Amino acid sequence: MLARLAENLFWAGRYVERAEDTARMVDVTYHTLLESPFGEVGRTWDQLLEVLHLRAVWDERGLGPTSDAHAVVRFLVLDQENQGSIAAATARARENVRSVRELVSTELWEAVNDLHLELRSRDLDREVAEQPSELLRLVRNASMAIYGVASETMPRDAGWRFLALGRLIERAEMTCRLIDVRYGQLDALRVPSRRDVVVEDGGFHHWVAVLKSASAFEAYRRRYRASTDPVDVIEFLLLADDLPRSVVYCLTASMQQLEALSEGRPSRAVRLLGRTASSLQYRDVAELLDEDLHDFLEDVQQRIQQVAEAVADEFFRHQPPGAMHAIASS
Amino acid sequence: MGDLFDDYDRGTFFDEVFAADGSVRPHYEGVIGRLSTFSPSELHRREHIRDRIFRTQGITFTLVDDEEGLERTFPMDLLPRVIPADEWDVVERGIVQRVTALNRFLEDLYVGEQAAIRDRVVPRWLVHTAEGFRREAFGISVPHAARCLISGVDLVRDADGTYRVLEDNLRNPSGVSYVLENRAAMTRVLPIAFAAERVRPVDHYGPMLLGALRSVAPPAAGDRPTAVILTPGVHNSAYFEHAFLARQMGIELVEGRDLVVEDHVVWMRSTSGIERVDVIYRRIDDDFLDPVVFRPDSMLGVPGLLSAARAGNVTIVNAVGNGVADDKAFYAFVPDLIRFYLGEEPVLPNVTTYLLWDDEQRAEVLDRLDQLVVKPVGASGGYGLVIGPQASDAELAEVRAAIENDPRGYIAQEVVGLSRHPTMVGDSFRGRHVDLRPFAISGEKVEVLPGGLTRVALREGSLVVNSSQGGGSKDTWVLEQSGAARVAPEGGGGG
Repeated sequence: MLARLAENLFWAGRYVERAEDTARMVDVTYHTLLESPFGEVGRTWDQLLEVLHLRAVWDERGLGPTSDAHAVVRFLVLDQENQGSIAAATARARENVRSVRELVSTELWEAVNDLHLELRSRDLDREVAEQPSELLRLVRNASMAIYGVASETMPRDAGWRFLALGRLIERAEMTCRLIDVRYGQLDALRVPSRRDVVVEDGGFHHWVAVLKSASAFEAYRRRYRASTDPVDVIEFLLLADDLPRSVVYCLTASMQQLEALSEGRPSRAVRLLGRTASSLQYRDVAELLDEDLHDFLEDVQQRIQQVAEAVADEFFRHQPPGAMHAIASS
Repeated sequence: MGDLFDDYDRGTFFDEVFAADGSVRPHYEGVIGRLSTFSPSELHRREHIRDRIFRTQGITFTLVDDEEGLERTFPMDLLPRVIPADEWDVVERGIVQRVTALNRFLEDLYVGEQAAIRDRVVPRWLVHTAEGFRREAFGISVPHAARCLISGVDLVRDADGTYRVLEDNLRNPSGVSYVLENRAAMTRVLPIAFAAERVRPVDHYGPMLLGALRSVAPPAAGDRPTAVILTPGVHNSAYFEHAFLARQMGIELVEGRDLVVEDHVVWMRSTSGIERVDVIYRRIDDDFLDPVVFRPDSMLGVPGLLSAARAGNVTIVNAVGNGVADDKAFYAFVPDLIRFYLGEEPVLPNVTTYLLWDDEQRAEVLDRLDQLVVKPVGASGGYGLVIGPQASDAELAEVRAAIENDPRGYIAQEVVGLSRHPTMVGDSFRGRHVDLRPFAISGEKVEVLPGGLTRVALREGSLVVNSSQGGGSKDTWVLEQSGAARVAPEGGGGG
């Protein structure tokens, strides 16, 4: 298929997922803060911007101190200048789907367009100021509906695979960040042994919020019963090979799509992804916590970004033979 | 006949359906007979079905100056236009002849000896001042001289029913998707209308076009040349048609950024690598095609495309520089070009046209401005048109000043009555003006798709049929049989 169309589908998948996961993370942060001492507020939003790698954009926009919760939520939900905001990601997802309108089902186009139009028709400013939960829930459900419609209406061709790959890669990255949101808050307390901090984190309800925001709370209860050990939560979200939002699950599923797409050709993307997945699969979380989980999560995200780069090189950026020669010899 | 036609006013124009004595013309008897059995409410129900078909398929266009970019449908009237075989034979011969002559002229102009200019059939200055003239096209040849691979020749019928050429569209004529979609919708909405008629099919247009595109591939392409459609993108008003044609032919719909030129060869970027492209059916204007040669700010085109064409590695369709020959002043010389290149008399006459740089003709035109139609030579889509009898004094004064300021920039034509065709308006049929745009494909030979796009001026009395000016359309039938064949003819009748 045409490289441009494949790339647009890949990014459509990423942007829809980004909108959804941003909604999940804003929600969990918001929830956490309802039961936190006042002093934590600024640090918590600050931490979220850090984890989402949006700190620089925030500073650039000159939006003031991050203790202004309303300003941060506004920035993450409706700021069109912030490419990571829910409204901007939705708009870009729509643009991408529109440009491949010929390749996707009418139902998929309508689902993406509906979300965009819904967000445009609402008074987002007021909702953000009063109570964003309903809005965030709407974004989350719409995103899942979009993927459901895609899954039920698209033939399993290359177009579908690029859409799915984009979604899975974005989600793998975002789940790392979701874990980091809570873990980072603990880290910020600067207590000597990080593992102790996690284990003795009095606020297990905060980890419950993280699980819920990953739609994984019931599944967690069934597997770990009454355990309130945050180590189990981290293990579940990072390593469970059967939880659709866990990092390992996303990487394994990405692998299936990539292998099908590369049709047996030697592929750097497949190699990088395989290496990243196996570096996680056999990890012991307790061990991870002896080191710095934050650094580890950052490292995983970096590797995922390298995979995305390799995907772009392999599928989206082919050059004519002459140009390849020029690059090779330069 | 039922109520639908009871108060039909034939008017003083040529009516496609009703003869001067009020009787139904023979080739319409079948379809009018069947439609008359419907009640207005039943027809309205069918209209709803029609609207649903068009809307769900996204058969829409957007207007140039519509800021919101609203997608509109191009409403198809339920009563088809019917052309009998003998009448079509004349139209077809006339269009083949005209397009053949225009192809010959253009190939001769850009890669030949410019015989028509040399022998003063057409003035050199006129060619060089035409807005569509492109010096950059010199030396770029097209196989079979099929420079106008797709052309749309707009025809109108005057007061006595003679088909006349109103204008030639030799750059990027659009509308053929409506021809195919109208037919498809018609067979679903009013299948009974087709009963006992032998209507010539139109759905072979895709293969016909693809065959022609492949036939003009450079010799180096081998026997399986790759053809693509180059679109400006989803925001273009005719994007639906671009995508439609790509589907009909099963070829890629590409944008400029999908293509890259390297060593005068055009490549297309796909996910499995790059692929060589041999023929490009571009739906982008010359000016935006190649920023190296034309507008450097164009983001739509492909740098180096023209050099690849010149090197003989790719064929651009329609050829660059065709606009010289659909300039509205140049139009006046086409009958002479037919005589010059083909040694034949034109089958289809022009509309009487006045060239305004000529002092005598200009004086006469300025004298009779309120009786004539004035058109800017470079515009299309009905933009800038002034119809004398319907214009206000202020408009006439304005166009007079414009002509005096730039005589080369305008032409004047006699008002053609434009035939009328019964068209559903409210609960009955009313006469509305129509034209006809048949589509011709040039490959190894020139072929015409039977019928074409019949456009209807939906506003009462309006002579402007363009979609951008509130026009509608009709499914257009070419019958296998001739007009007089189905009734006992007085004097033999046609074949």
